[in-house]
Amino acid sequence: MLKIVVFIKQVPDTGSKAGVNPDGTIDRARAKRMLNPFDKFALQKAVELKRGVGAFVTCVTMGPPPATEVLVEAFEHGADMGVLLTDKRLAASDTLATAYALHMVVRHLGDFDLILTGLQTTDGDTAQVGPQIAERLDVPQVTYCEALSISGNVLSARRVVEGGYQNLEARLPALVTVANSATPLEPKRFADVAAVKEFLRHPEEREKRIKTVSLDVIGANPAHAGLVGSPTVVGKTWKLGEIGGSCALFQGESVEREVEHLLAKLASDGHRITELVNG
Amino acid sequence: MAEPKNVVVVAEQLQGDLQQITQELLGAARGLATKLGVGVTCFLLGDGISQLAEKLVHYGADEVMVADDPSLKEYTTLTYRRGVIAMLEHLGAPPPIVLMGSTTIGRDLAPRIAAHLETGLTADCTELDIGDYEHKGKADPTKTGTFHNVLYAIRPSFGESLKARILGPWKNPQMATTRIGVMQALPPDPSRRGNVEKVAVKFDPEDFRVSVVKTARDVSANVNLTGAKVIVSGGFGLGGPEGFEVVRDLASIFKDSVVGASRRAVDAGWASYAHQVGQTGKTVRPDLYIALGISGAIQHRVGMANAKVIIAVNKDADAAIFKFAHYGIVGDVYQVAPALKKALLAAKLGKAA
Ligand SMILES: Cc1cc2nc3c(=O)[nH]c(=O)nc-3n(C[C@H](O)[C@H](O)[C@H](O)COP(=O)(O)OP(=O)(O)OC[C@H]3O[C@@H](n4cnc5c(N)ncnc54)[C@H](O)[C@@H]3O)c2cc1C
Ligand SMILES: Nc1ncnc2c1ncn2[C@@H]1O[C@H](COP(=O)(O)O)[C@@H](O)[C@H]1O
Repeated sequence: MLKIVVFIKQVPDTGSKAGVNPDGTIDRARAKRMLNPFDKFALQKAVELKRGVGAFVTCVTMGPPPATEVLVEAFEHGADMGVLLTDKRLAASDTLATAYALHMVVRHLGDFDLILTGLQTTDGDTAQVGPQIAERLDVPQVTYCEALSISGNVLSARRVVEGGYQNLEARLPALVTVANSATPLEPKRFADVAAVKEFLRHPEEREKRIKTVSLDVIGANPAHAGLVGSPTVVGKTWKLGEIGGSCALFQGESVEREVEHLLAKLASDGHRITELVNG
Repeated sequence: MAEPKNVVVVAEQLQGDLQQITQELLGAARGLATKLGVGVTCFLLGDGISQLAEKLVHYGADEVMVADDPSLKEYTTLTYRRGVIAMLEHLGAPPPIVLMGSTTIGRDLAPRIAAHLETGLTADCTELDIGDYEHKGKADPTKTGTFHNVLYAIRPSFGESLKARILGPWKNPQMATTRIGVMQALPPDPSRRGNVEKVAVKFDPEDFRVSVVKTARDVSANVNLTGAKVIVSGGFGLGGPEGFEVVRDLASIFKDSVVGASRRAVDAGWASYAHQVGQTGKTVRPDLYIALGISGAIQHRVGMANAKVIIAVNKDADAAIFKFAHYGIVGDVYQVAPALKKALLAAKLGKAA
């Protein structure tokens, strides 16, 4: 049976107003939390393989204790095991330090065939963590992957490239970052949700399914993690000014008149739009 | 051997065609190199591509290192990783700065190189600069100090509501990828001369764990979003796939136009991903961007806000798109778009007459 590790992250919900400071930064304590939307595509691919060829799916997240919520969500979609890496010394990790810590979780878990990550996060937004984990584990990678299948120890994958796609074959074990044009996450199945509700009620069952680990447990060197292990820092931030605000708006007349006034205004502003028109 | 001082750019070529991002990177690198008083070194990898070196010099490289090898014919992560590492080792010591493009190649390769070197990498920068930096942080005293001639890697953050300056002066190279279409390329100068040096790459059998079975480009009928002068984009407000007929119809009257789409329209299956504009699609900068039935969410805005002229059509006068579009018509796309087409054609005829 395939052993799959999926990396999922809990991120602040940037869509909701709650938890956004006046300067635009996120108040992580107050912000609503959600599963990184990109990671849903990775989770979907893992669950598809589980239901197709058979796989044991372990979801791993690194974050403060509330991040367990995304593991529970993953169980409801069909994951088999969850690991929360949580440790105060992980605070302020950049992508290199994050990838170091996450690759140590994989080592701690033992053998694997496939690692799936989201393309990027909505808070870090770098798309770097996946390839950096692959480098640390010395495995091949396929990024921007839309579709994949496995036969023996060969992964066949379709990767998005500028203006098209590429079909690749990679030897397992490998790491794949899943593009957001892959199949979206299917709705939860009633049986899975019911099973999760059940095991969450029993502390011993819960502990068997959700492991909480620290840097010491996974044998990671704290010098490579968190702030000390991060080669980069955020030096300064600026709020981006509200752009525009001077839209010339046409409304309340007949469509023909509105269009006419629009074209007249464009011309008087010096935009020669008609030069872009054929003929 | 002297410490390498030059700013390094990793060029991108496909089947012997230099990709526009390379000229942009060279332009950005020249700016940094001038501030540092150093030169620009460009890494060029591929098969049968040595003749491109001269062009790289015209666009701003002082020195080009070429790895020309049949194993580098198609981009694969591990073979190109080996090539770039070989070139960095050839320099003898880490250069101060390494830049790559924020393309599907650059974003695949740069993090592997950074992790291999255990150095910092900032993704998708929209500005680069050089300056001083004083680090005070109590939490990690080993980093404290004042640093000169540091790379300022500047990128939008938090859904583009903020700009952040990322710094990593503690270790060379300081690495960054730059967003497509943002850095300014220099006009080519055919009188520029530079050194070209070949570098041999020794591959490991493990570098061939991935193979390319097939590459299909331009499959989506030439969706050249980043190059087109005019983009007519459709959103979820079109209500269905047939709405894209209206979009295509309006686009068809322009000389150099393509159809764009919002993510919701793409997710709904009304247009393919190749058409998507925005944070997770393409960043575009056309002369004219017409948004039809698009609400103007931040993730869409960041992909098109730099268009020279933005015209929006939306039936909701309070739609966010009217906060940053230059011109807008409040109305139904199905009425406004055909009327706009008709009026533009009439205006064109009027001019010609
Ligand atoms: C991490 C992340 C990344 C994302 N990346 C992108 C991205 O790259 N690109 C992108 O576009 N989005 C992206 N999004 C999604 C983005 O947040 C919005 O959901 C999306 O842009 C909305 O698309 P829309 O404007 O077409 O749809 P809607 O928000 O549904 O807007 C439709 C608009 O059409 C108007 N309308 C309806 N009917 C008509 C009519 N008959 N005539 C005229 N107007 C009409 C409505 O008033 C409304 O304003 C991303 C989201 C996330 C979370
Ligand atoms: N703290 C984390 N815990 C688990 N997975 C993560 C974490 N950070 C990043 N990842 C994974 O790496 C991917 C890319 O993240 P990023 O490089 O931050 O854009 C995400 O989609 C996740 O799959």
